Amino acid sequence: MILATLSPPPAAVTSPLQARPHPWRWVSGAVLLLGLAWLGTVLARSPGLQWSVVAQYLGSRTILLGLWATLWLTCVSILLGFALGTGLAMARLSRNPVLQGAAWVYIWFFRSVPLLVLILFAFNIAYLVPQISIGLSGRAPLLSMATNDLLTPMGAALLALVLHEAAYAAEVVRGGILAVDQGQFEAAMALGLSPRATMTRIILPQAMRAIIPAAGNQLIGLLKGTSMVSVIAVGDLLYSAQSVYSRTFQVVPLLIVVTIWYVACTSLLSLGQYYIERHFAQGALRQLRPMAWQRLRARFGPASVEA
Amino acid sequence: MAAFLSIQGLRKSFGAHEVLKGVDLDVRKGEVVALIGPSGSGKSTLLRCVNQLERFQAGRVTLDDELIGYEERHTRHGPVLRAVSVRELNRQRADIGMVFQHFNLFPHMTALENIVEAPVRVRGFARDRAENEALDLLARVGLAGREGAYPRALSGGQQQRVAIARALAMKPKLMLFDEPTSALDPEVIGEVLAVMADVACGGMTMLVVTHEWGFARELADSIVFFDQGQIVEMGTPQQLFEEPLHQRTRDFVRGRVYI
Repeated sequence: MILATLSPPPAAVTSPLQARPHPWRWVSGAVLLLGLAWLGTVLARSPGLQWSVVAQYLGSRTILLGLWATLWLTCVSILLGFALGTGLAMARLSRNPVLQGAAWVYIWFFRSVPLLVLILFAFNIAYLVPQISIGLSGRAPLLSMATNDLLTPMGAALLALVLHEAAYAAEVVRGGILAVDQGQFEAAMALGLSPRATMTRIILPQAMRAIIPAAGNQLIGLLKGTSMVSVIAVGDLLYSAQSVYSRTFQVVPLLIVVTIWYVACTSLLSLGQYYIERHFAQGALRQLRPMAWQRLRARFGPASVEA
Repeated sequence: MAAFLSIQGLRKSFGAHEVLKGVDLDVRKGEVVALIGPSGSGKSTLLRCVNQLERFQAGRVTLDDELIGYEERHTRHGPVLRAVSVRELNRQRADIGMVFQHFNLFPHMTALENIVEAPVRVRGFARDRAENEALDLLARVGLAGREGAYPRALSGGQQQRVAIARALAMKPKLMLFDEPTSALDPEVIGEVLAVMADVACGGMTMLVVTHEWGFARELADSIVFFDQGQIVEMGTPQQLFEEPLHQRTRDFVRGRVYI
């Protein structure tokens, strides 16, 4: 009897190895790309978007002034917020139970109140404290001012942002300090370093590694959070755009202008964060990972570039 | 000869658990004392009480005729020992070098910066002078040329030698070693012990918690056997290892029962 079919030869050691094909990856990738392309055309062609209006206002004086106010508010409130927050973190970590408790209550309260509510409170603070006076009680005050003269809308916005930010910053800083090994405190103490030197020279530089990513989040959140001050007529980026579209009714194009600026600022901040993280990684990694552009050049660029 | 370091009646509890049950120990100037005993017997805690990394409930520590961490006050109810200010305590701690099991080098500073930090900040030395002395110390511990290395780039043995140099840079009166070789790979223990031997031969007063019996036997002037929060017996290496007086010491030395 003769076998009708020949069985194929078995695979030998030298047979080539093949990766498993993944057809569904190609399919899902293609579907996603098609969807994005469709979305892109819809956005580009939509008459409501009015890209020419976007281009017209992107660099306009009103919008740039608003952007300046947003950046100024963000910078000042992150700096003051972290300064106050670091103090609060120290208070929470201190041995004094009153300080600890006070810091805990502060953080609990200002994390609980929505930023928008806080901004409205700060704006209306004159109802609560109509007059601010400095002097001894029972005598004529040395200095007395109406709260509304002292606290402009911008001042109120700043106050609310700083109080709000400090509560979060305190937790970020405290988390960073707790992430530092207890042995570092002991080594510093055993050497006789003062508490201040221990903090500033030994603990905080190491805590920075844990603080920076969280602080980056805070900063980006704050940048966007400043848009809430538009409700009390502070001329930030959003408010400037609103002031334009309340006249021209070009709501969507101006919101796109605002979006473009927020995205641009956030991207810059992310980039800055990347470099700051590298700086504080010193000593924590055996060798710094090459930067993203170095990796790209090592992969695609001329062979002479060091990896 | 009068005691240089004197520990008297030291008691320390963590909550209800009493770790040190009244410890008395005198160390002469230039003497090397090794503390041995089972894990959890309170040896490290005793060491950490000397420079006040741990507060204790009773007793006193004096170094070179100076009470450490406390000062005598006279109240209506009689004399008391009151804790000194942080500033004063730091001044006293500067005279007591400490080497930790896990080195505890500052990871964000180079070897040189680790050594220079305290002499500059605490002793107020000029940076040039501190750096020159640090380079000498690095050479002495066999790490010449590694001053720019970050701790992560150094082996455990090298890190511990930098840590010893860091402590020596303060020109301490007393050096405390808390299991300095327990976290090291066996092949690098020798290099750290050699540096410690060098320090001992330089006349430094040393209190060493160790599981390295070879070191204790060769270099210690006295050995203290510590168990359950108390000193069981103290003697020369010869006495303690060859003719221990107490049954517990005998069991420990013969059986080498430590975990």
